[in-house]
Amino acid sequence: MTTPALDVTGLTKTFSGFPAVRDVSFTVPAGSITGFLGPNGAGKTTTLRMALGIIRPDAGSATLFGQPPTLRALDRVGFLPEERGVYRKMTAEQVIALFARLKGVPAVEARKRAAAALERFGLAASAGKKVKELSKGMAQKVQIIAAIIHEPDFIILDEPFSGLDPVNQAMLEDVILEQAAAGRTILFSTHVMAQAERICDRIVLMARGQKIFDGKVDEALAVVPRLVTIGVDSDDDISALLSGFGEVTRAEKDADGVTLWQIALKPGVDPQHVLRACVEAGVRLTRFEPVRPHLHDAFVRLVSAGDPLQPVEGQ
Amino acid sequence: MRAIYLIARREYLSYVATWGFWLSLASVPLFMLIGASIPALVQSAQPVRHYVVIDETDRGLDAVIQASIERERREQTRAALEAAAAVSADTATRERALAAFDADPLGLGGLDDALDILGMQGSADMIAAGTGRMIRLEAPARTLDELRPYLLGERQVATPDGPRSLFAAIFISQEAGSDLPLINYYSTSVTEQSLSGAARRALRDHVREQALAARGLDPAEIRELSSLEPEMRNFNPATVDDSEVGAADWAPFIVAVVLAIMLWTAIFSVANMLLTSLIEEKGGKIIELLLSTVRVRDLLIGKLLGVAAVSFTLFAVWGLIGTTLMLIAGTFLQGIDPEIAGFIAEAVQPGLFLAALGYFLVGYLMYGAIFLALGSLCETLHDAQTLMSPLILVLMLPLMILVFAMRSIDSVAVQIVSWVPIWTPFIMIARLPSDPPLWEIAGTTAVMLLTLIVVLWGAASVFQQGALGHANADSVKRVFSRKKPVRDEE
Repeated sequence: MTTPALDVTGLTKTFSGFPAVRDVSFTVPAGSITGFLGPNGAGKTTTLRMALGIIRPDAGSATLFGQPPTLRALDRVGFLPEERGVYRKMTAEQVIALFARLKGVPAVEARKRAAAALERFGLAASAGKKVKELSKGMAQKVQIIAAIIHEPDFIILDEPFSGLDPVNQAMLEDVILEQAAAGRTILFSTHVMAQAERICDRIVLMARGQKIFDGKVDEALAVVPRLVTIGVDSDDDISALLSGFGEVTRAEKDADGVTLWQIALKPGVDPQHVLRACVEAGVRLTRFEPVRPHLHDAFVRLVSAGDPLQPVEGQ
Repeated sequence: MRAIYLIARREYLSYVATWGFWLSLASVPLFMLIGASIPALVQSAQPVRHYVVIDETDRGLDAVIQASIERERREQTRAALEAAAAVSADTATRERALAAFDADPLGLGGLDDALDILGMQGSADMIAAGTGRMIRLEAPARTLDELRPYLLGERQVATPDGPRSLFAAIFISQEAGSDLPLINYYSTSVTEQSLSGAARRALRDHVREQALAARGLDPAEIRELSSLEPEMRNFNPATVDDSEVGAADWAPFIVAVVLAIMLWTAIFSVANMLLTSLIEEKGGKIIELLLSTVRVRDLLIGKLLGVAAVSFTLFAVWGLIGTTLMLIAGTFLQGIDPEIAGFIAEAVQPGLFLAALGYFLVGYLMYGAIFLALGSLCETLHDAQTLMSPLILVLMLPLMILVFAMRSIDSVAVQIVSWVPIWTPFIMIARLPSDPPLWEIAGTTAVMLLTLIVVLWGAASVFQQGALGHANADSVKRVFSRKKPVRDEE
């Protein structure tokens, strides 16, 4: 069995009496793209900091490639923190080369890689410019390059899309997929559910300091009932006919005077069963629309189901 | 080690690879040179003082003052000429030049000939200017009320340099029943006392000579009596050869105090550099990126070492400039004033400089670590200044102690404060030339080093909390105000 890139067990951290993270355990399998999701204040950043050994957990442990987060293990990790910045008075090339060297890349190789990466990201002309002379988007690209310049096996990106314009968001999405295609493990936290759904194999969902979900994206989507919208060309009540498939609700008529019904399917019910039942009962359908659930719905449903955390007594 | 080296290197280059650094580095010796030259510049730039003397005693005292002032000026000019000759000419030429100058025993008539002999034609103004010129004029009026407009600049009097206002008016009177003259000196310049001093000295010597002459002494006897002075010789029983204590023996003490003050200034400036750089990094949100790559301890040590290297670059360059200047000055002054040359030679104390470097390193690491730790709690320089105020007061105290204890550096009070580890670097360096007991040096050093370890450990802990935003300036305030904590972490 392959050693996971990250394995956290029972991580707990309290700040000034407030539990920021409580007994969090999850695994990031090698080669996966894992989304680390959760609302503000969920404890994602604190968990990542503990996973990287930046702060010490009150309880629990974290391993990177099966080892404690020592500097040697961290050399295989590329990290883009949420609070990010670079030395504004250094040139783009110097900043990238510095972080490469901090990760153990020899000086000459670091400069060579920096130049190549700047070229690849369309910043070759700005290589010699100081970071303070670059636009915000360009500076963010420099930060991203600095995080992956040492070709790490495991890339952790904390809210990488925040502050990026749509063009740069797409660019970053490509970078993530490219790195994953090269066999690297990716863990990134985000609020943008559409991106997580597009990119991730797995998700770990945090709320109020606790993990509330950990699994494949499809498994997360399964917690949300699938919806089917039906349009009927009559005022007949079909709720009795379809109630066996799930919860049936009658919606308003649409602009064409068609009566709309919505069925929240029970787990395991195929929308085709609903269609067949309608056809067999002679219901005149003008519309049949299975609605695919989204990660956003799963996120909202899972997060709203959790209990709020209480301060730890005695602290 | 790799991370420490890279952080230190980056920190070092961020200062050294800037124009501002080299400009400020060059500006310090330049400003010191300007500072040292200011008295000479002020002296040489003195304007000509025009004065009048109203002698109401009719004893010829106005001429006595004028003659005395001209004699003093001649003596000063002769000394300046002698110094210039000592540097630029051999003994024979020097003697010929002085003989030419002495051809006019009462004035400066021989100056041009003397300078011709020395090959310094055209330097008369430079040689004589430093001694200041005071020219007595015929008084345009006899009463204060009449002279007042001339003194206030409302009216001008004819002088060899053109119309000028009067610098001073000296009224000499004599009270009934007394032989002593009374001098009333009027001038708008209340701080410039050279003319009033010269007038007082001239009449003091004159009345003494008159009194002695009245007791039947001839002029030669009077001169002999006036020159009588006891010979004073100072010895230090600790010296092996029982040689006399001279100005040179003071050099190590003065150098030590100067080093202590320089140490204080350097540590304070460098710790401030660290603080500013950290606040800038926090503002730029670089810290967390660094902490995912290097450990807090490495970051702290790297920053401290980088800025220490900046300081040593400063010291190396200033030391090189200082040593070169002292060597040049020592050679130059050897012929003019062997005593000053000896003072400079004694001021070069390699042991003291080595100790100063050691004390600087420990002091810098202590204060630098504290500044970094407190800086990590602050978001802006304004926050930092508020938090630093008590520390700066603590840092000021040894400086004040040094200023007040300069003449009794080995007093019990100074010995006691030497044991306060955060003051040890400054106080002990000042005490070293007075040879404190070895156990005291070892003891204070041990306490200081132990404190350094504790401070570095504590600073690393605070720095870790502060750098990641788990603690801030309010956390410190809460410690003192016992306020309830507020949540500041995701």
